[in-house]
Amino acid sequence: MTFPVHAIKSNFPIFTHRPELVYLDNAATSQKPLSVIQTITDFYTKENANVHRGLYELSSRATKRYEEVRKKVISLIGASNQNTVAFTKGTTESINIVAYSFLKKKLKAGDKVVISAMEHHANLIPWQQVCKESGALLEIIPVNEVGELRLELLDSLLDKRVKLLAITHISNVLGTINPIEEIVFKAHKLKIPVLIDGAQSVGHYPIDVKKLDIDFLAFSAHKMFGPLGTGVLYCKEALAPHVDPHTYGGGSIKNVEFEETEFLDYPHKLEAGTPNIPGVLGLGAAVDYIQQLDIHEAIHHTKNLTISFKDKLKSLGGITLVGQAQNFGSIVSFQVKNIHPHDVSGFLAHANIAVRAGHHCAQPLLESMGVPATVRISFSIYNTMDDVDKTIDAILGVKKFWS
Amino acid sequence: MSSDLKKLYSDIIKRHQEAPFHFEKKTDMQNTIKAYNPICGDRFEVYVDFDRKTINQLHFHGFGCAISKASTSVLVKALEGRTLAEAIGLCENFLGFINKDLKSNEVLLQEDFKAFSGVHDFPERSDCATLAWQEMKKFLESRK
Repeated sequence: MTFPVHAIKSNFPIFTHRPELVYLDNAATSQKPLSVIQTITDFYTKENANVHRGLYELSSRATKRYEEVRKKVISLIGASNQNTVAFTKGTTESINIVAYSFLKKKLKAGDKVVISAMEHHANLIPWQQVCKESGALLEIIPVNEVGELRLELLDSLLDKRVKLLAITHISNVLGTINPIEEIVFKAHKLKIPVLIDGAQSVGHYPIDVKKLDIDFLAFSAHKMFGPLGTGVLYCKEALAPHVDPHTYGGGSIKNVEFEETEFLDYPHKLEAGTPNIPGVLGLGAAVDYIQQLDIHEAIHHTKNLTISFKDKLKSLGGITLVGQAQNFGSIVSFQVKNIHPHDVSGFLAHANIAVRAGHHCAQPLLESMGVPATVRISFSIYNTMDDVDKTIDAILGVKKFWS
Repeated sequence: MSSDLKKLYSDIIKRHQEAPFHFEKKTDMQNTIKAYNPICGDRFEVYVDFDRKTINQLHFHGFGCAISKASTSVLVKALEGRTLAEAIGLCENFLGFINKDLKSNEVLLQEDFKAFSGVHDFPERSDCATLAWQEMKKFLESRK
């Protein structure tokens, strides 16, 4: 069966309002289906109330629906206990919580944290800073010339001084899909907890935190068809008691006295203050949307687009692909000879094609590969072969203009 | 190719980007101005040979889009040999022109400056055009 891309595209109102739009910046944020937008509007229109506060019907309804989203999320990521899911502002906040409210108190001078060279700044800076504050060392798994992790070096990087390993599932620049199962297995042999940055993968690729035995999984709603400003920190049950509150305030407590506070258990101890209720409900609607898709067909569709785009791009000549891993997602980074990525993206923007140019919040990665910036194209379920062809035509136009 | 894109990438801009003026690393200069844009990753350094109140020589090096590279090249060419006051005036002139807040009676613009008028149709590119100029103006004002 062919993938119903046109039916899917019609679920996303932005393409009705802007029929000319070719949206290829999905790695930055995805578009939102009507069901997600409607859920948020309905909450404010018909059901607005705070959670965990009032005894009246609206408030208890809001609480119930908010808590139900945890169940939806665990069904998406393969967890079994809804209390492993904390709602955050997004991947960045989720990673900062693990760095500052779990890891920092364990880190001593001479300890190590291991990350990879392909991390987004969000999965680099928190560890770098927490290491600096503790006198610990940040060790980097290097990347080879095609943009794959040099896992043959992993054994020599892991030892008893490593207190955490943090790695991205899919690189937001190179599109590389990392073999997280193998990485988690090796880390766990030395009892090292692992954080997976799932910003580019959750919702688009199957991930099973139980099967993979992941300790922490961080991701954002807005990259998986949900609203901005909402994310998740999944934490394995056994580690949950070791995560401390990150911000203090109401909603996270069991008992407060002037001298002492007793906090609720995970995840509530992380959710001080009034949460982003419509954001969380929108995330729930996004999970519902994803779960009515056939995820394998969706992957097949975006992979076809990616392969076709890469082939057509290479045939133009004067193109350097940055990242050519064996196992890749729907992200393509490239350079056009003698034309700066911004000038390429400026031309594409003029043809209503939205792409990203720059270092994609992974400056050290590009520097280590000797590339100052790239043009990045990232496909999603609503992209069509026509989008591929329009983009190739526009790149051809750029090349002609500058030749 | 649409006419506004042709205007944005005017011949003067293309010329400056292909053959930039004094495009050379001069790390021995006493002053290096960093014109970095962390959002897009453009990184230029402008090396200033500054003698009391006069800019003797300027060089620059780095990486950025055609607009930011050409505008830095134009800056180097326009400001070399100028006094501090003249150079600040030119910076204000160029920045005012790009940001469209020049008063009508102000100095006639140099041809090289006018080449950037296409940026007016692409407001998202005004940061590219003004990157080095803003940093240069800050530097010169700190030397007043």
